Amino acid sequence: MITISLNGKITKTKANITIAQLVKELGYSDGFAVAVNTTFVPISKYEQTILKEADTIDILSAIQGG
Amino acid sequence: MKSTNTTWSIGGKELTSRLLIGSALYPSPAIMEDSIKASGSQIVTVALRRQMAGDGGGRDFVNIIRDIGVELLPNTAGCHSAKEAITTAHMARELFGTNWIKLEVIGNQYNLQPDPYELVEATRVLVSEGFEVFPYTTDDLVVAHKLADIGCKILMPWGSPIGSGKGLMNPYNLKALREAFPELTLIVDAGVGKPSHAVEAMELGYDGVLLNSAIALSNEPAQMAEAFALAIKAGRLGYEAGAMIQREFASPSTPTVGIPFWHQSD
Repeated sequence: MITISLNGKITKTKANITIAQLVKELGYSDGFAVAVNTTFVPISKYEQTILKEADTIDILSAIQGG
Repeated sequence: MKSTNTTWSIGGKELTSRLLIGSALYPSPAIMEDSIKASGSQIVTVALRRQMAGDGGGRDFVNIIRDIGVELLPNTAGCHSAKEAITTAHMARELFGTNWIKLEVIGNQYNLQPDPYELVEATRVLVSEGFEVFPYTTDDLVVAHKLADIGCKILMPWGSPIGSGKGLMNPYNLKALREAFPELTLIVDAGVGKPSHAVEAMELGYDGVLLNSAIALSNEPAQMAEAFALAIKAGRLGYEAGAMIQREFASPSTPTVGIPFWHQSD
């Protein structure tokens, strides 16, 4: 297991998990974008991006704004 | 920049409305939808925030806006550094499928004033990556020159702090920007509280006005949206018509020839 920060909350997940696996486990389907350690990760790299201990993952979606 | 009373273009899009509108703070999604429609706006700004799967709200309201048939303008609201803003812009480009970004990099939490140094740096990177940057900036002429020098085609100086509704606090500076950058698209962004403020901005020769709170926080948002649509059109028409030169002394409007009853012997 590794410990990561997911949308600001410390959580544990399995080691060597990819972003593709993580977002699927969390139930995301579409309408979101991902950053790891404050760097954007495009969809095309979800399969090959393996999360590490202490990574910070932000999953953002649209919200009303002005 | 092409600019006529009936159509104008911004970011490669030909538009008829010069009102850019925000999607936040409405009492309900239905009132937001009614207000956007009543405004006639063709550009609606949206934001990005952390959301867990199943929250759902984000997609629902974006679909409402998309169904109206307007352009989405994602923003980087809440970012305090160039790095954060750049990452948010990258995420927005993928999420919304647009290279437009309303670039906000806040430098002061009290008045939400943009950080000019971080703003210029983020703009430099994003312009080089092909973004059409809509930078939320102050009315500082030097910062505007920096943004223009690195390829910004659009400048969005504040009228006054975000959400204050104080209107145009420094018309002199806004006018100076218009005169300095006749070739750029200038939008007053933030601080507009009343339709008369929007008229004033348009009479200065600004190409458009971006606002949110003034409509969303009014008692009747859809009605206020229509009021702003009319105000912006009136201001633009007036600007294009060319105002008379102010005079220091009275000058009668009615011809003085043939005045009856008095001064007949003069």
